[in-house]
Amino acid sequence: MANSELYENVILELRRGVIVLAVLSQLDQEQYGYSLLKLLSDQGLAVDQGTLYPLLRRLESQGLLQSNWRLEEARPRRYYVISQEGRQLLPRLKQEWANIVAMMEKVMN
Amino acid sequence: MNLIDIYITEVGKHLPKKTRLDIQEEIRSALQDMLEDRSQQTGRPVDDDLTVEVLKEYGSPEKVAASYLPERYLIGPRLYPAFLKTVQIALPIIGALALIGLGISLGKVNLSAENWFETILQAIAEFFNSAIIVLGNIVLIFAILEFALPNLKEKPKAWDPRSLAKISPPDRVTLAEPIAAIILNFAAIVIFNFYPQVIGASFVAGEGWTFTRLLSQAFFRYVPVLTLLWTLKIVLNFLLLRLGQWQTGTRWFSLGLQGLEVGVAYAMLKGPSLVALTAQEFSAASPIQPEAARILVELMNQAVTWVLIIVIVFGIVEMVKTVIRLLGKKTPAVLVQEK
Repeated sequence: MANSELYENVILELRRGVIVLAVLSQLDQEQYGYSLLKLLSDQGLAVDQGTLYPLLRRLESQGLLQSNWRLEEARPRRYYVISQEGRQLLPRLKQEWANIVAMMEKVMN
Repeated sequence: MNLIDIYITEVGKHLPKKTRLDIQEEIRSALQDMLEDRSQQTGRPVDDDLTVEVLKEYGSPEKVAASYLPERYLIGPRLYPAFLKTVQIALPIIGALALIGLGISLGKVNLSAENWFETILQAIAEFFNSAIIVLGNIVLIFAILEFALPNLKEKPKAWDPRSLAKISPPDRVTLAEPIAAIILNFAAIVIFNFYPQVIGASFVAGEGWTFTRLLSQAFFRYVPVLTLLWTLKIVLNFLLLRLGQWQTGTRWFSLGLQGLEVGVAYAMLKGPSLVALTAQEFSAASPIQPEAARILVELMNQAVTWVLIIVIVFGIVEMVKTVIRLLGKKTPAVLVQEK
């Protein structure tokens, strides 16, 4: 039981680092919070809502995302899209991710 | 008001005003999306049962609100070690003072077993009372420091280990020393200005307790100038915290304060007695024999004299050290306190 909890915690820590990259890479096109959640989930990355929504706000405050409220299906939704600054940063983050993967391959083998 | 409204209102109670409405709207929108999606997936209507299920999944209002907030500290990780150190210094001092007080009270002749028990209980109660007050004040001061020193929250700037060599050991300021000085000077201001009545001794005499003030009116004439001195010391230590090292300006400031301190101590030494307690009063207020009371009061007066002499001597030594550092001469090794 303790091992299982430890495993879950380590997995959570590992995933936490990649969520920013995953989110930025999916927001080339506008998405609202729940649709982004589904999009990530459909690709196998389950993100907790309590993590995603505050993260979106933080990325926006850092200038990496832009958002706007839109009235849709009789209710307001907040749409997020990657900003110009985010677009400039994304390729470097992707490159860094590739480096990390290559490095970890080496380390673990 | 439906469940979602109640839930969102509850979340909003834990959010700052500035962002509350925006976050609440976003959560409402997310919950509606979730409900709609769940209803489509399961074929169930959007009713209270489904809403309860979705809200449970979303998390408690406190937890959801907390996820939007940065970590907040009353005393943050940067100040916590200094806080812990201060508490570790302060509590044994309070304990030692309580034990001394207890020893004096128990060292009476003709003290009954009942009075012994009562005296010990009183000392324990006073210890806990003092400990709580002191701890409360230490927490308050550290909380103010946490709030007032925003630079301590910032990420450390890029630094070069070689830059450390530029600050000679006597100029380096550790975090604990200014903080301890601020707390002690603040405590002195509070005690001598607002609670002077606590400086005294309690005795079991006859049926009940009697309290005798230890410090004379002559001492309290110095309190305004002492308060000025303590306030300026707080200012100096705030400056040291901000600067992180001694500089010429702070050295001159310190020299002035040392001079003032020596001057006040000298005036106290030459002036009337600072001890209010006389042998007669002491003997009358406690079961101590007149001769023993005379000796104790005499010892008290001598102790005050020696404390003042020590303050003057150490003050002059500190002034000499400060002048030597200001003149840029190498401090004699014997005067440099290793840190």
